Amino acid sequence: MKASRFILTVLLSTSLSSGAMAADVVKIAITGPFSGGSAPMGLSMRDGAKLAISQINKNGGITVGGTKMKIEIIERDDEGKNDRGALVAQEISSMGDISAVIGTVNTGVAIMGDKYYVEKGIVKIITPAAGSASMTQWSKAGTKDLPIFRFAAHDGIQAQMVVEQAIRLGLKKVAILHDATNYGVSGRDDLIEQIKKQGGKLKVVAIEKFAIGDKDMTGQLIKAKVSGAQAILIWGIGPELAAVAAGKEKLGFKVPMIGGWTLSMSNFIDTAGAAGNGALMPQTFIEDESIQRARPFILAYRKAYGVAKIPSPVSAAQGYDATLLLAEAIHEAGSTRPAQIKAALENLKVTVKGTIADWKKPWSKWDPQNVETHEAFRRANTVMGKVQNSRVVLANPSDKALLEGKKAR
Amino acid sequence: MNAEFLALAQMAVGGGLMGMAYALVAYGFQLTYTAGKAVNFGQGELVMLGAFIGLSLTGIGLPYWAAVPGAMVAGAALGWFVERSAVRLALQQRNEGWILLTIIVGLFGVSAAENIWGRDDKPFPAPWPEGTLEFFGISVTWPELIIAAGALGIMTLVELAKRYTMPGIAVQAVSADPDSAELCGIRSKSAISLSWAVSGAAAAFAGTIIAPVTTVGPTMAAALTLKAFSVAVVAGLDSGFGLVLAGIALGSAENLSGFLLGSGWREAPGLILLILALALRPQGVFGKKIIRKV
Repeated sequence: MKASRFILTVLLSTSLSSGAMAADVVKIAITGPFSGGSAPMGLSMRDGAKLAISQINKNGGITVGGTKMKIEIIERDDEGKNDRGALVAQEISSMGDISAVIGTVNTGVAIMGDKYYVEKGIVKIITPAAGSASMTQWSKAGTKDLPIFRFAAHDGIQAQMVVEQAIRLGLKKVAILHDATNYGVSGRDDLIEQIKKQGGKLKVVAIEKFAIGDKDMTGQLIKAKVSGAQAILIWGIGPELAAVAAGKEKLGFKVPMIGGWTLSMSNFIDTAGAAGNGALMPQTFIEDESIQRARPFILAYRKAYGVAKIPSPVSAAQGYDATLLLAEAIHEAGSTRPAQIKAALENLKVTVKGTIADWKKPWSKWDPQNVETHEAFRRANTVMGKVQNSRVVLANPSDKALLEGKKAR
Repeated sequence: MNAEFLALAQMAVGGGLMGMAYALVAYGFQLTYTAGKAVNFGQGELVMLGAFIGLSLTGIGLPYWAAVPGAMVAGAALGWFVERSAVRLALQQRNEGWILLTIIVGLFGVSAAENIWGRDDKPFPAPWPEGTLEFFGISVTWPELIIAAGALGIMTLVELAKRYTMPGIAVQAVSADPDSAELCGIRSKSAISLSWAVSGAAAAFAGTIIAPVTTVGPTMAAALTLKAFSVAVVAGLDSGFGLVLAGIALGSAENLSGFLLGSGWREAPGLILLILALALRPQGVFGKKIIRKV
């Protein structure tokens, strides 16, 4: 009897104290694949976001309605798997005291999981998942009130840039290779649509798919080679992209690989080695300390995590800037309630100086007819990157001024 | 030669070379089956663990040449461990528990690998020359050739050892008849343990020569076990030469069906061959029908 009363007291006091704690912290969840093939993106995104949070907390936290509140992080690994992602979203949306969620790398995870956040009205900033479907699913459903925002150059922009690049290189015939996931299939459709949109100057001579885990891409590549493709437009993730690069090398098929930003993943660059050189992909951020805007973030990241190279610089920088924007929105909302934060995100008053750009009102009131209202990036925020000796550099050095913000975006 | 034919030839050759890897893994099945009438359904996991151990050994600065034997020693220990922990007791009790037990030990190996090395596929550095060789317009890479040569080499070595060394002859004696072998003073338990250790070493060796082509990851095992098992059943569990032929045939068939029917059909020939072999010739294409007289 005595013991049970003691336990009860302890339970009560701990629950009371955690209740008291909850009053002066903002709870933010970070979700993404922290293991598996897309882990470099998930981990870099998480670490970029945590870097921003630790900087904010060091300065006392976010001022919400006159009181300084520290940020508390809840982390969940979705392993890049759709079903696991849905479970994570269910868990977080039922916690009840989460103000916002940042994350998701895999488009399929966003498609399976985000409905739980929408049901409960929890704010989520998707970064760095780029697949078009993770936002267009809501415009297709005609959702009136959407708490989901995206902070990544979506595949529409990326496909546009890939096709532009192929045309700029003077190519006529291309092959499209893609993986069999939601990301790869929607990337293929985006590419075909963009080729049409840009005047049909490219002829698609082969469309080939591959599965996650495939190591031998010779079959797909032989078909591309035999059909006379002058470039491979590709949508997939790191390990399979590396297998394609290795297969190209084996067959002596020396044509450029142009594809989604996943060609900047460390598990592509490191596994492909020399075979990966010259691959071209859209980037929102380049890990180059000589860019003054990016320098403080790059140095802080490397110091905080003890690395010489950020595994996925784009993910890290986007995670960082997305967190800064979210913190500003919580401050402007003057509340930790998701509904108020959502309204503030749709109408940010202060321009946030990020490591990618100065973010002036990146999102606006959701309009189901126009996905761009909840998309932060435009074509002008994005540059072409190129793999060179295990690093991603600017494909076009004159874009540096653009990344500095000295040239109009 | 026209381009279409060349493409098919390229796919067949590439598949055939990888098929040698299946043959080598299947050879591991054969070694334990002939000696102790049991196979390790976690053989693919031993391949994976061997590759990871080899990778770790190169990671601490050992050259590839030293890492391979190191991985083989570890593989032998693991093979021996599987026999002692999962197989011996079940066989003594004359039941088929070893099937499930070897699968369980294999799954345990996958979990261990995930916790020790992580879930990601990692590149495996090997000192093979860069670039490709061309034979009549067909490209072949050095790592692929090494797989074929390595598989043949290690199988030849083990076969020679079985014929010309005392332990090898002892294992053969136990394969033929364990009771008579015991009467001749051979400890059949030790002979069976030895065959499992050699099988484990062969698996680890396979891992270290396959990994430079496929990369190393905890999931590399699953497909390998199934394909090697198909090869072993199709060839028959007592023909080394048959394994090589069946391996090459399966590898080529797989690549060709992926190429002609679409990449989703890659795995189909292995399963169809397995079903056909079980239905039409359960002792294997190259196997001898054993007639047991009571």
